[in-house]
Amino acid sequence: MGRLAGHGAVLVMLAFGVYSLTTLDFSWSDVATSVRQAAKVFTLMDPVSLPPPGDLAYLIGLTLGIVVLGTLVAALISIPVAYVSAENTTPAGWLRVVGRAIGVVTRAVPDVVLALAFSLTFALGSSLPGILAIGIHSIGMISKLFADAVEQIDRGPQLALRAAGGSRAQEFWSAVFPQVLPSWIATVLHRFDINLRGSAILGYAGVGGLGYAMKVAFADFPQGYGRGLGIAAVIFVLCVVLEIVSSTIRRNLLGIDAVGNSLGRRIVRTATGNRPARRRPSGGAPAGGVEAALRRPWTRSRVRDLSWTGAAVVVVVASYWLADVDFSQVTWQYVLPTVQSFWPPNLGSHTLGDFLQALLVTVEVAFGAAVLSLVLSVVVGSLAARNVAPNGAVRGVFRTILVIFRGVPELVLAIFLIMITGLGDQAGVVALAFGGVGLLGKLVADSFEELPPGPERALTAAGATRGQRFLAATWPRGVPSLIGNSLYLVDTNIRAATVLGIVGGSGIGFYLTNASTVLTLHGQVTTLVIMVVLTVLAVEGIAAWLRRVFR
Amino acid sequence: MTAPVVSVSGVTKEFGTTRALHEVDLRVEQGEVVVLLGRSGSGKSTLLRHLDGLERPSAGAVEVLGEDLAALRPAALRALRGRVGMIFQRFELVGSLTVVENVLTGALARLRGPRLGLWSYPRSLKLAALTHLERVGLLDKTYQRADQLSGGEQQRVAIARALMQDPRILLADEPVASLDPESSDQVMRLIREIAADDGLTVVCSLHQVDLALDWGDRIVGLRRGAVVLDTTTDGLNRAQVMEIYGRVAASTAELMAIETELGDVVAGTTVRDGQT
Ligand SMILES: Nc1ncnc2c1ncn2[C@@H]1O[C@H](COP(=O)(O)OP(=O)(O)O)[C@@H](O)[C@H]1O
Ligand SMILES: [Mg+2]
Repeated sequence: MGRLAGHGAVLVMLAFGVYSLTTLDFSWSDVATSVRQAAKVFTLMDPVSLPPPGDLAYLIGLTLGIVVLGTLVAALISIPVAYVSAENTTPAGWLRVVGRAIGVVTRAVPDVVLALAFSLTFALGSSLPGILAIGIHSIGMISKLFADAVEQIDRGPQLALRAAGGSRAQEFWSAVFPQVLPSWIATVLHRFDINLRGSAILGYAGVGGLGYAMKVAFADFPQGYGRGLGIAAVIFVLCVVLEIVSSTIRRNLLGIDAVGNSLGRRIVRTATGNRPARRRPSGGAPAGGVEAALRRPWTRSRVRDLSWTGAAVVVVVASYWLADVDFSQVTWQYVLPTVQSFWPPNLGSHTLGDFLQALLVTVEVAFGAAVLSLVLSVVVGSLAARNVAPNGAVRGVFRTILVIFRGVPELVLAIFLIMITGLGDQAGVVALAFGGVGLLGKLVADSFEELPPGPERALTAAGATRGQRFLAATWPRGVPSLIGNSLYLVDTNIRAATVLGIVGGSGIGFYLTNASTVLTLHGQVTTLVIMVVLTVLAVEGIAAWLRRVFR
Repeated sequence: MTAPVVSVSGVTKEFGTTRALHEVDLRVEQGEVVVLLGRSGSGKSTLLRHLDGLERPSAGAVEVLGEDLAALRPAALRALRGRVGMIFQRFELVGSLTVVENVLTGALARLRGPRLGLWSYPRSLKLAALTHLERVGLLDKTYQRADQLSGGEQQRVAIARALMQDPRILLADEPVASLDPESSDQVMRLIREIAADDGLTVVCSLHQVDLALDWGDRIVGLRRGAVVLDTTTDGLNRAQVMEIYGRVAASTAELMAIETELGDVVAGTTVRDGQT
């Protein structure tokens, strides 16, 4: 019974995805038209160019400064949030609920919406809205991963300090925090990478830096496109370079190996020949009594730790200076009203029907893109799996294709963003589908490779062909995880489609943009965000149910 | 006559349907070195945890240093825990911190507010920590990461951490169970030395009879959460201990089903020797 309902649900969702593609007027001829349109733009625009070196350096500095400070704000706030959220450190059960709720809400509100909403409180061109937007939105992910890490620590030392009379706060800082410090730094660096990529989109909300410069350039149609593409390329290179930097830091400082398949991490792994990170022994033997032992010897590890700390301080101070933070730009009397304006949620002059209609469009974009990704991922992902690909060369080619798909989207997305206004939802679908193949294709390949080889061997022994083996043994066993991974894709697609809608003015993003720029309309933002959160939760619920059904 | 340092009366502890302790009575006098003997699951850890207020009894009362633990407010309980040092089978050091930082955490109960890093402790405490490290013979490892030390060394760091508390009582839960014989010897010798020099009261659980005879003044035997043996080690040999255990085991096996009778058997075979 449960299985039957499960199959039914999967079919309904697939059908909905296909239906979405048709209602969004999605057809290959449209894609072809827009490609032709893009080609025309390419011929009309100025040659691809970069801003003058001075300007470029300023823009890069401003972008990095905002992203560093925003991520730092989130990292610091995440400590108390994780402290109350984790089961083994929380002072009270109800605080745990509060902490987890802060995580869910901050993750749900897109940083673009926050940036737009804060723009009132700050002088035009201030970097503070961007810092705050990144700072608040990133709390969700950092505090959740940090709280999870806290819950996974060895509880022994913590209990030992409790036994010695330590308070809860002392337990946390002396026994828990030192254990989770590496994972906290790793999470923060990871989030930094994500925020840097997102800063291109924040530019569309008026946050200064490369993203904003790109927006301005693209607004100059069609000549400015050359400059826009140049800046897009800078953003892409910056993302890859800093991903390499952050992976290297994680490797050397924390002994965490570069994992994942994004482009930067692959480069790190190739460059280091995939050697596992090494930990040098530390410490030394001070000679001559207790007094002498007070002086800590300058061991390599001490020098190294101090250098890293010093470098981190320099980066933060430099960011503060580069981002040109100026608190006199805050219009303090707007702060409280801005916060208050988000409550209560309301519909303004719209009807719930309007909002639901818009939400439907966003969900259709998400599902339509997911179906496209699914079809492509099954083909590409299968051929990238060792146990399906006919030979190593084919596997290598398709693995490489997946890496490119995963590595490139920052730039691709940026280029598609240009066309979205002209193209509407189809551009969103293509952009999301493209990135989705990189994600889902890799998950498909990995899940096929993880299947125990028994059944395939049995069929080979029975004389089955490659195709028969795939259909009879590999595919049926791979389907459950394929369903789970596809729903995960739908989930991230809904969030991404919301943000794309903000940039492209479609779906729920259209209303979000309008409502977040006017103080009196902020109640609508809350309504819209709640709708998105409920939708995402519903998808997560369906995914959890299907996982149980097809286990 | 002085009041006992530890006084456990009629303590029963139930975890759901598991009875970990069954009407345990135990008095420990100032300066005694008491060994809790018993197989795994007999309730040794649970009893020790009661002595530090880490567990609350289902029935009965625990008095430590003249204070009824059940009556203490959180701050007072923490202060009391500060005067009771505890060491563990798995040492429970923070591996990524240096040895001296681990030792310093023993002083937390006396400090207000959290600490992070060496610099956050006053110089006087740092000197004290180094003195304790010298005492356990690890001054040369002061600034090494704790997880780079051998098991025996880690346990000695844990002892230094306990000493940092200036404790009146030292509780040790199978302190040598994961050490080789040589390190075990070193650790047990250190504990005895400290107990003698500082007049510390020690309650130490072990599961090997020989170690208990070697290092304890007095042996308290636990079986299924009940005290079945309580005697000084003077003139006692392994065979005698085993005999008592064997008798209890046989009788218990026969009479397990009848709880009241189990109580009688326990009372009948216990060699009571409360005063020392
Ligand atoms: N926190 C707990 N929850 C449930 N049962 C426990 C808990 N602590 C101990 N027990 C049970 O109490 C009994 C005694 O355990 P313990 O005191 O750890 O014995 P020992 O230290 O002598 O090996 C065992 O049956 C154990 O499973
Ligand atoms: Mg135990």
